Amino acid sequence: MTTALRSAASSGAPSAGSGGRPSAVTARDLARATATRQRRGARFKLWAGTVCTALVVLPVALARVLPLPGADAQDLSERRLPPLSDGHLFGTDQLGRDLLSRVLHGGQVSLTVGILAVLVSGVIGIAAGAAAGFFGGWADTVVSRLLEAQLALPLLMMLLLVVALFGPSVTVITCVIAVAQWPEVARLTRSLVLVEREKPYVAAARVLGLRGWSVLGRHVIPNVVRPASLVVLLLLAQAVLLESALSFLGAGPQRPFATWGRIISDGQDYITTSWWLVTLPGLVIALLVVGVNLIGDGLRDRTRTARLPRGVRAPRTSRGARAGKGV
Amino acid sequence: MATDVSPLDGVPLLDVENLQIELITAHGVIRAVDGVSFTVGEGETVTLIGESGSGKSTTAMGVLRLLPEGLAVLSGSVRIAGRDVVADPRAARALRGRTVSLIPQDPMTALSPVHTIGRQLGDALRLRHPGLSRAETRERGTELLAQVHVPRPETRWKAYPHQFSGGMLQRVLIAVALAAEPRLLIADEPTSALDATVQAGVLDLLMELQEVEGIGMLMITHDLGVARVVSDRIHVMKEGRFVESGPAGTIVDRPAEPYTRALLAAVPRLGAWDEDGLTGAVAR
Amino acid sequence: MPKYLARRLGQSLLTVFLTLTTVFLLVRLAPGDPAAAYAGPTATTADLARIRGEFGLDQPLIQQYGIFLRDLLTGNLGTSYSFRAPALDVVLDRMPYTITLAVAAIAVTAVVAVPLGVWMARRADSKRELGANVLTITGQSMPDFWTGVMLLTVFAVLLPVLPASGFTSWSGLVLPTVTVAILQLALISRLVRREMTTALNSPYITVARSRGFSERALTWRYALGNSGVPLITAIGTRFAALLNGVVVVEVVFGWPGVGSLVVRALETRDYPLIQATVLVTATLAILVQLLVDLAYPLLDPRVRLGKAA
Repeated sequence: MTTALRSAASSGAPSAGSGGRPSAVTARDLARATATRQRRGARFKLWAGTVCTALVVLPVALARVLPLPGADAQDLSERRLPPLSDGHLFGTDQLGRDLLSRVLHGGQVSLTVGILAVLVSGVIGIAAGAAAGFFGGWADTVVSRLLEAQLALPLLMMLLLVVALFGPSVTVITCVIAVAQWPEVARLTRSLVLVEREKPYVAAARVLGLRGWSVLGRHVIPNVVRPASLVVLLLLAQAVLLESALSFLGAGPQRPFATWGRIISDGQDYITTSWWLVTLPGLVIALLVVGVNLIGDGLRDRTRTARLPRGVRAPRTSRGARAGKGV
Repeated sequence: MATDVSPLDGVPLLDVENLQIELITAHGVIRAVDGVSFTVGEGETVTLIGESGSGKSTTAMGVLRLLPEGLAVLSGSVRIAGRDVVADPRAARALRGRTVSLIPQDPMTALSPVHTIGRQLGDALRLRHPGLSRAETRERGTELLAQVHVPRPETRWKAYPHQFSGGMLQRVLIAVALAAEPRLLIADEPTSALDATVQAGVLDLLMELQEVEGIGMLMITHDLGVARVVSDRIHVMKEGRFVESGPAGTIVDRPAEPYTRALLAAVPRLGAWDEDGLTGAVAR
Repeated sequence: MPKYLARRLGQSLLTVFLTLTTVFLLVRLAPGDPAAAYAGPTATTADLARIRGEFGLDQPLIQQYGIFLRDLLTGNLGTSYSFRAPALDVVLDRMPYTITLAVAAIAVTAVVAVPLGVWMARRADSKRELGANVLTITGQSMPDFWTGVMLLTVFAVLLPVLPASGFTSWSGLVLPTVTVAILQLALISRLVRREMTTALNSPYITVARSRGFSERALTWRYALGNSGVPLITAIGTRFAALLNGVVVVEVVFGWPGVGSLVVRALETRDYPLIQATVLVTATLAILVQLLVDLAYPLLDPRVRLGKAA
């Protein structure tokens, strides 16, 4: 369709007879067009998201290099100094520790947990979802039941329970968050694989004698990993939030540094006198999560706009192709 | 039917002049319709024919101003009953559902799946006659359904679209289009989503209605067999332009352009039985 | 239909049962001694042994499980260690507070999110819509405990217009509700926007527009009518999740619901209380899901229960 229309456009203007009808599209039309606005919106989200994320991630990554007091260096003579007081950009906490240093060092733990959790949940989710979608039958039944059961469970409570059982180490908390998040990846992968499975190349690979597992591993999964990985950024945002909630409830990692949720929980008692102890770490979390969410949203918008705009006819090749068109 | 509007003195029902439609897409500006001109008079059927992507449906949607505003830029002029809808989009809104009606391409997706046929037909009727009571609406609606040969219409009032076959749905959609008591019908590939045997019945119905009501019709199709049966005039469209225009007989029997001949050649390939069924049904 | 209902109820029962069993095993495998938590730091070894015997914790695991199942059949979930009252009663006493908060939060969410989502779909890709979009993303990105603490500080401490904690009057409901609703609002309004955008670009809307319907009728009658199933699914799922206890928000506001109860039960290793909480919340959540499923045929005539997933 695009090609047909493109050729209409290209052959239309300069060719025979009518001598090239001038375009009626004004700069204003272009600026107000849906395609332009969508592109502009996606670009804005990507740009703003990158800025927000970088504002948090870069300092966290460079925490060791930056000239900061140690995160655990107590100085009881400098307790609860407000922000911007000498040498303490974020002020100090109830034990005289530099809040910025604590936030940055704690952020290293928070981010590590978040990224690892997303990787683990991605692997579990893609494997389970692909198996369910590709093989169907009992594999599908088991995975679907598990997905359903998890919807019914009091999630945060189960997580607290498991952390209580195995102790609040980084490994345990990573696994716990991964377990909380795999359903989303699995559900998406399953639906993608269900579509992919029906494509001719899968049948062809089977005719060539490849076995189910190798068709899935070598051909189907590589084709669904890219769309499935789009949710990863959104999951990363959720993982950071979930970790901070666990820490807030006292079930977060304690070593090497207290994570964001813990810092906020500790500062809660001083909220009326030292507002920065809660406000600033919270803002840092929000900034990071907003940034990651915006990037994820922008990327999704961009793949959406790369498709044919609405209202333009899809080719009359199959019924499926018609589903999204305007008329 | 359209007795409440004064007859047009010599002004064609639909007068399209140098219509150009440009689509602003993510891949740049595409000229889908490149300066076409044609007219449709009362009781006349004019057909735009071409392969998919030739711009014929875009023309139809542009005439009704149904293309998304953020997508399409229209220029030239489209006068429906004398009012230019390109210059004044509000005119299009006032004309739709009164003077002009659309018969859509795919009947299976053209009705809201969660509302009953009666509700949707009734809504259309009350739009034209706001004062109708519920019983009157139902009575008028049932009559309309009977007029388009929906069997036992009184029992189908509360049915949902998924309970109808494609051919029956297209008849229901024609009834909904007629609820507006239009003077101009725009039929956008009204039969292309239907089985060949059902196609004949729907075309038959459209021609019957046109004869009875004297409605002008703009038909969009890619099927020359359909075009020959129903049209007074045919415009052959390719890449947004008319490559050949003329009376139906001339275009079909003595096509001048290779493109038209290619379209003609495609007809027997679709199956001779298809043809026979069609003409047979129309002659019935 | 009765057959479908029976099958669904059977599945739900199985889910609840398996969940309960998992929790039963998990709490007993977890380190920490309920007897120690119960008796306090001054207890002697003999005291602890006596208390363990009293709670039935000195028996083998499999025997404890047998007793648990037997009691479960008679509706007895044991006695809470810390409340010294039947565990089920303790949970049921707290349930109204959790339900009140969940209902209030979902109601506020629906009333704001649906019109907001519809507005966003109609103004899709405009600058104002982009602004609203960024705002909802922000709402979704703030940790709820932080939002809660901030709201508390502003509206209960700095400008003391609302009570800070607990449920003493209906005004105590405002802050927790707002805190929960901010997050749900983002989720629901974005879903409404997506569904409405799809619906508004459907062929039947274009065809209805060709019949002369006003944009308002197209939006509210036809497009929203067709977004019923995903909308109710989303609201139902969110509601079920809220019934499981908004643990964090309840803790922040000292709200006497099951969420804060759970945290306390976990701290004191109150096994019967943990089990009773899981039973009640999981059952409620599953019931809500079932009601949502039963509502599908009312919202979409094409859905027939037990036919399609």
